[in-house]
Order: sequence, then C-alpha cells, then structure tokens
Amino acid sequence: MLELQNISKQFDQKVVLENIDLKINSGEIVSLLGPSGSGKTTLLNIILGLTRIDQGKVIFNDEDLSHVDMKNRGFNIVFQDYALFPHLNAYENIVYGLRNKKDTASVEEVREYIEFLELKPHLKKRIGELSGGQKQRVALARTLVTKPKLLLLDEPLSALDGVIKESIKERIKSIAKEFGLTTIIVTHDPEEALTLSDKILIINQGNISQFGTPFEIINQPKNNFVKEFILRQLQIKRQNIYNLFGEKYA
Amino acid sequence: MRNAKPEMRAIFIIILLLFFTFLIAPLLVLFFRSFVSDDGGAGFSNYMEALSNNTLISAIGNSIKVSGATAIITTTLAFALAYAVNFTRIYQPLKSVVKVGILIPMLIPTITYGFAIMYTFGNQGLLTKLFGRNLFEIYGFNGLLIGYVIYTLPAAFLLIHNSFKYIDKKFIIVSKLMGDRTLRSFLNTVVRPLSGALGGAFVLSFILSFTDFGIPASVGGTYDVVATQLYQAMLGSIPDFSQGAVIAVLMLFPAVAGVILLNYLEKFNFHYDKFSETELTPSKFRDSFFGAASVIVLLAMLSVFAVMFITPFVTAFPYDLSFTWQHITSIFQSNDLVSVYRNSLIVAVLTAVLGTIITYGSALLNARTPIKGKQTVDIFSMITNTVPGMVLGLSYLLLFNNSSLKGTFIIIVLCNIMHYFTTPYLMAKNALTKMNPGWETSGELLGDNWIKTVYRVILPNSISTVLEMFSYYFINAMVTISGVIFLVSAQTTVVASKINELQHFAKFNEIFVLSVLIFLTNLLVRAVCDALQKRTAIYKK
Ligand SMILES: Nc1ncnc2c1ncn2[C@@H]1O[C@H](COP(=O)(O)OP(=O)(O)O)[C@@H](O)[C@H]1O
Ligand SMILES: [Mg+2]
Repeated sequence: MLELQNISKQFDQKVVLENIDLKINSGEIVSLLGPSGSGKTTLLNIILGLTRIDQGKVIFNDEDLSHVDMKNRGFNIVFQDYALFPHLNAYENIVYGLRNKKDTASVEEVREYIEFLELKPHLKKRIGELSGGQKQRVALARTLVTKPKLLLLDEPLSALDGVIKESIKERIKSIAKEFGLTTIIVTHDPEEALTLSDKILIINQGNISQFGTPFEIINQPKNNFVKEFILRQLQIKRQNIYNLFGEKYA
Repeated sequence: MRNAKPEMRAIFIIILLLFFTFLIAPLLVLFFRSFVSDDGGAGFSNYMEALSNNTLISAIGNSIKVSGATAIITTTLAFALAYAVNFTRIYQPLKSVVKVGILIPMLIPTITYGFAIMYTFGNQGLLTKLFGRNLFEIYGFNGLLIGYVIYTLPAAFLLIHNSFKYIDKKFIIVSKLMGDRTLRSFLNTVVRPLSGALGGAFVLSFILSFTDFGIPASVGGTYDVVATQLYQAMLGSIPDFSQGAVIAVLMLFPAVAGVILLNYLEKFNFHYDKFSETELTPSKFRDSFFGAASVIVLLAMLSVFAVMFITPFVTAFPYDLSFTWQHITSIFQSNDLVSVYRNSLIVAVLTAVLGTIITYGSALLNARTPIKGKQTVDIFSMITNTVPGMVLGLSYLLLFNNSSLKGTFIIIVLCNIMHYFTTPYLMAKNALTKMNPGWETSGELLGDNWIKTVYRVILPNSISTVLEMFSYYFINAMVTISGVIFLVSAQTTVVASKINELQHFAKFNEIFVLSVLIFLTNLLVRAVCDALQKRTAIYKK
C-alpha cells in the first residue's frame, strides 16, 4: 500500500502541490487527472523520488521512503517521451537494466514480457525505426524487466493516436492485473482516466479536488471543478457522438 | 530537483582548478606585469613608454589598416560564396566543391601562406614568371592582405553560410509577388536578414587578422604589425617582458571589443524554427555571375597553395623544373625535421585527446547536471574565445617561466586546449542539450550510477560530436603558431615554429615539405573522423 501524507511542494516561491493526502491499495490502477500545469507530473516524480518534497511523507508498505533515494525505492517509471536509448536496438533497451542486476529477471521471464507485449518481431529494430505504439511497449518492457514494486506512467497515451491508444490502454490494464502491479498513471483526459483506472485522483491547482472510483466521480461530483471541467468534457463528447450516430448508439 | 552526485563534484573541481591555473592565473599575471616597470615600481610607466614608441604606434595603425581592409574583402567574398552555395541554382557538384575547397586553408599553418604567396607573386614567383614582371610589391601590406584574406575566408564563410540556413526563401517569392525590383528584393530578403552575420564575419576577420602571427612572420617584411612587435619585444635581441606584457594587453583590447560586438550582432540574426523547402526562382544572370565568382575565388586561393605542392618535387624552383624526389628523401633523412614532425604529432594527439575529455566533461556538467555554479564554465568559454593565442602563450611564459613546466610538451598542450576551448565546448554543449533529459534518470532506475550512464548512453549517442571535437583540436594544434611560439623549446619545437626558424636559412623546400606533411596529416585525420561519423550516423533516424 502506498500512502502519501500531507505532501507539499514549492518551486521557487510558487506552490505547486498542497496537502496531498491519500492511500492507494496494492494492485490498484490509479489515475492522476487534472489540467495542464496542475502538478500531476510533479506528484509522480515525488513518488518516484526524482523530486524532493518540502513537507509530508511517502510511505510504502509501512516503510517511510521520504528520504530514500530514487534508486533504492524500487519504483520505476515510463516517461512521456519514453527516454529510450537510440543507439541500442529494442532488445538491448529492454535488457539494459539486467547488465547491472543480473538476477532481477530470468531469460524466461524476459521472453514472457516480450511475448506479452507482442514485441518479438521488433526486437532487432533501432528505436528510430519503431512507431509510437511500439516505442511505448518497448519502454514498458524495459521498465517491467526491473520488476518495480510500483509502476508509474506519465501521460502514456497522449502521444498515440486512435486505435493504438485503445490497444495500449487494454495492455496497461492487463499488465496491472497479470502482474498484480500497483500502477499510477498521469493523464489530462477524463475519458482515459475514467475508463482505465480503479480510482481517480483529480488535481486542481496543486490540491486534491476529489479522490474516488469512476462511479463516485460520475455520480457524486464533489465540487464545481469536477462538474465543470471533468464531467462537462464527457458530456460534450457524448453529445457529439449522439449527433454523429443518433440516439440509439449512445 | 535532482541532487549533484559526488562524481559530478569531483569533475567540476578538477575543471575549476584547471581553468584557474591555466587560464585565469596566467592572464592576471600578465595584466599585473604590464603595470610593473623594469625598476620594480608600479604604475603606468610601461604604457607611457609604449605610447611614446613610434614604431609600436605605427604598427598598431598598420594592423588596424590591413585588418580592416582584410575584413571588408573577406566579408564580401565569403558572402558571394555563401550566396552561390545557398541561393543559386548553380551546378550541385560545384556547390560541394566550394563548400569543401574553401576549408582547405584551415588545414595549413598560416606561416606557410606567406611563403606560398612569395613563391607565387614574389620575384621568382610562379605568376611573376608567367607575366614576366612583378605584379606588385609582395612584402608588407599586399602580402599581408592576401594572406589574411585566405586565412579568414573559411571562418567567415562558415559563419555566413550557417546564417543562410535561417533565411526563409519564401520571402524572396513574396517580395517578387509584391512587385519589388531586383535590387530592393535582394536588399530586403537577403542582405537585411543577414546583417548580423555579415557584421559578425567582418568583426571575426578583423580580430583573426589583428592577432595572427604566422602571416606577418613570413611575408610582413619591414611593415610592422602588432603581432611582430610583440614577438620582437619578447624574443628579439633584447627581451623586454614589461613591453611584451603591455603590447599583449593592447592586443587584447580589440579582441575583447570584438567579442562584445559579436555577441551584440548575434541579436540581429533571425531564427526560424519552421523550415519548408522552397524552390528558387531561376535566373541565368544570377547563377552565371555567382558561379563564375566562386570558381575564380576558389582557383585564386588554390593557385597560391599550388606552389607548396610543386616546389618540393622540382630540382630548383623556378629555374629547373625537372621532377625529383631528392628534397623529400633528404628531409626524411634529417633526424632534426623528422623529430619536429613527431613533436607536432605528439602535441596534436595529446591536445586532441585531453582537450576532448576536458571539453566534453565541462559541457556535460553544464548541460546535463544540476551542479551549482556550472555557469562558470560558460564564462571560461567566453574568456578563451576572447584571448588571442599569442597573448595566452605570453601569459604562460610569464607565469610558468621558472616552473618545471617550462619547455615541456604539456604546457604547449594545455595552452592549445585553452586557446581552442570555445568551439568544441559549444559543439558538445549543443549536442548534449538536445538529448533526451530523461536518460540519466532512466539509467539510474535501471541500476546505473551516473558515470555508467554517461559511458553507456550519453557518450555513445554523442560519438559523432566527440569525433568532431577531436578533429577540431587535432587540426588546430597541428597548424597553430601564435599560441605556441613563446612556449616551444629546442626539445619541443613543432612544425609551425620550426618553419619560422627555417625561413632565416632560406630553406623553402623544407618549409613546403613540412607544410605538405601537416596538410596531409590533417586531411587524413579529417577523413578518418568523417568515415567514423558516417558509421555512427545510423543511430540517427
Ligand atoms: N523544475 C521546476 N522548476 C520550476 N517550476 C516547475 C518545475 N517543474 C514544474 N514546475 C511548475 O510546476 C507546475 C506543475 O507542473 P507539472 O507537475 O509539470 O504539471 P502537469 O504535469 O500537471 O502539467 C507548473 O506550473 C510548472 O511550471
Ligand atoms: Mg505533465
């Protein structure tokens, strides 16, 4: 279980996060949802250990990690732009971490990840030759091979288009279920958040606006922000689809 | 915020120490020395003495005159060449020839230019023989002017050529559609957007000519310029360190002003992000004019260097033009000259290896670490960009004259590394800044320490830049004379400074053979680096 206690963060004089307080159960998929600049990436980097906190605690399975180095926390992330190493091919990227810790994953396990992510035909390709969705899956594989205790994804879908987006979404869900991985996903798209995750943390200007299941968010929006900015978007979307397909497809 | 790692701090401290010892301290010593008079008193007496020295005053005047003339001619020619390459539809291979050919002078020491000019235009020169009379007096202003123009043309061309890439060719079409006449269109769409670069080329050519020693050392004759005055003061019959320091400070002034001006002119440069390929409108007149102009400039330049390749292979230029290997073999039998060439190789290899490491480390700290105070590296880079080689060499002489570094290879190498720091530093910084900022974090999460990520990821992805830096350092260390003239000893003489000695014995065959040797070595290094770069280019999309 991941517990964030009263986390606050300032950059220079600017407050970016304020009193963030929540618990995430093991095996859950949680989305951090909010408009651009609301502090989502900052919160993700704080959990990862990349960004230091000014106040509060990060507790994982009853262990206080607030002052533990990123490297020793045992979490891992897939960055928005993947940060794959272009001088290595897909396979070399995936097994990069095994050079440092040989026993994290066996050859058999690596093969499993590769198969699961359907990367077999692309292993010899250079990063520049991969499509967006393939890069995303390579980055996922590289991260999963290190067997993180917590999987962090920063806007994993924003660089992908249409159909691929849906397939990666399914893939992320099944990874979390298959490997029992607690997963935290940053997104600015309400539809994505509500269809992908068990719980959603809505952030507005560095504060928690609402934390709950998709059902709770839709049916009991806690405040105007959730109503106006989150639900309104979905309603407009629904209206557009009505207009296109007619009532019966809604 | 990521924390600075101990490895980063260690590298930073090493770099700071290097710069304080081999850049800041020598320059401070030079500066203070210029205020200490021969009898030990402090004050402006050295400056008063210098300003009442008529030879020096006229040398400064001469330097300004000839450097100014050079700057005007070089800027015009460099513009014409860059225009031909970028904005005309001349035959594509000709453009490639211009782009490569114009850089040839960079591979040859400037001191050689002087002798090549003598052998082309002088009393026994190639062209003199062809025309049957002296075209003009070669020693002094004319010779210097030709030499400086050849010397500064490559740098000025590169500067203007790069700026051409930022001009939107669509402007020309828009201007045509708006009904502008040719001249107006040309001024508005080409000259105006380039004004920063043209000013930059002018200033750069001026500073380079003002501070070069090789060309006046060979073809200056009795026409005094600042560089020869500085040499006279330090290594003439009566060495005068105080006067040397004063002249060096005086030489530093235009260089400082020039760099400030260059930074100012940078603001006039246009920076477009969006590039769309645009067809150039056809124009017969434009293409034939600029095509012809670039061929003439290139041929003129190469014809000057032609003698360098001819003389060593003929019995007695220009009287007996029969082919012979004799000069070549006699040089390779002379232990003296072979060891001088070997010295040059040692210096160039050490400069290239150590220089690339130091420069890359500095850029790495500045571009990819959160270490506090990393901006100091930018300041060092600005200083090294400003200080002329002769001034740096002289300040080393003042500071290290009584130390064990005197007369060693390492002092020459360090001087070269500092002297040529700016360009490779900016190359590395530029390449490193463009790389994905998440790589270090990814590497760390995958179990690397910082050094390991640098070695396994950052370095392999910048190998092409590293090769570029290596060849830049190597080639410049091979050709520089102004930086090392005060630092070489009998044991550490390099080719460029040896040429300076050989001229007093009129050993021109030796001079040309050594120059050809430098040229070929540089060409080889450049070719190998290019080939390696091509092999690494597959990493890129
Ligand atoms: N390293 C930093 N230094 C200063 N300000 C920062 C830094 N990182 C983020 N910020 C600021 O913090 C706010 C939240 O940023 P971020 O967490 O990236 O938002 P989001 O991911 O929700 O778009 C923004 O206003 C951003 O400008
Ligand atoms: Mg973000």
